[in-house]
Amino acid sequence: MTVKRMRFLQELLRFVGLGGRLHLEWISSAEAQKFVQVVTDFTEKIKALGPNPLKGFKEKIEALGPRALAGAVQQDISLQKQPPANEKRKIKIA
Amino acid sequence: MKEEVKLWLETGKVDIFLGYRMMAGHPLPHVFAKDRLQEVDELISADARYSLEKLAARIAAEQPGIKIGILARDCNKRALNVLSVWNQLDPGQVETLDLNCCPSVLKDGAECSYLKPPKTGFHKKQVGIDNQYDLDDFENIDQQERFTRWINEFQRCIKCYGCRNICPVCFCKECSLEHPDLIKAGDLPPEVPIFHLVRAAHMAGRCIDCGLCEEACPADIPLRLLYRKVNQIVSDIFGYQPGSSPEQSPLSVLENTVTLAPEPLQAVEG
Repeated sequence: MTVKRMRFLQELLRFVGLGGRLHLEWISSAEAQKFVQVVTDFTEKIKALGPNPLKGFKEKIEALGPRALAGAVQQDISLQKQPPANEKRKIKIA
Repeated sequence: MKEEVKLWLETGKVDIFLGYRMMAGHPLPHVFAKDRLQEVDELISADARYSLEKLAARIAAEQPGIKIGILARDCNKRALNVLSVWNQLDPGQVETLDLNCCPSVLKDGAECSYLKPPKTGFHKKQVGIDNQYDLDDFENIDQQERFTRWINEFQRCIKCYGCRNICPVCFCKECSLEHPDLIKAGDLPPEVPIFHLVRAAHMAGRCIDCGLCEEACPADIPLRLLYRKVNQIVSDIFGYQPGSSPEQSPLSVLENTVTLAPEPLQAVEG
């Protein structure tokens, strides 16, 4: 059950742009070396990814108050890139 | 259609029939019954959509044994399947009158509110997510930009619970989105992106892609895209399709053997 949920969640987080920050590994209490290796590797990976982009987001929103929301936050995390040119409407039949 | 419904009610094939009726200029869900047969003349299908099967499940819970007829689109039928799989509604209790809805080359005409989605505005295309996005196209955008776009969408949420309330497959009596320890009361927008990801996780193996949540959303958050992805994951990893499977979702079924391996640690993605 755990592995099912983790695999699912990893994919979901990747989709919303938080991929790579969740990891699952089976390690027995007799596998100290493996534990050290996994934790070291994962720590390095997280460092490479940089701080959580959501850090401080809540405080920022709270400071704005409920009314000022929409515009201000968008400026703060504004996008560098233009959206892809694909404006075509696609209907996918489920 | 009207004749058929009348016949069903008269012969007792069904005790009540759930359909739509124009009231005060709006097509609203309506219960048609034998003692009000003249109302059936006002039965419409039009573009209107509502989770009629959710109403049916509630009626059936209060009056076990009642026979319910439903005006059913394809999405309604998928939802009925999910509700019966999760023991919310006995399929033997329900008769469906099928509607011509989803478009196909095999049949003429189709009516469904989903076929006329509102046009996405310029600003939303710039900083948010176009609701008409195709999953694959969206995933071609790089991870960081996807994140920013989703956050811009989620932070518009006004926590009206419209998505949950309209959802035909949301039937829990206690909703974790209303639990004070999980989602802080009075927070607006609800914790970004937790609120939406919790709902997305609960839609895994359940969402039947009817799109009612997105239609109901006053903030126009592309929920359908999110839940489509969630079910694509379930389909890719477990090969499970909600709405057509006779079993409950693999995320709810404990199996005897573990066949799935954890994801290996990968290098940092772009």
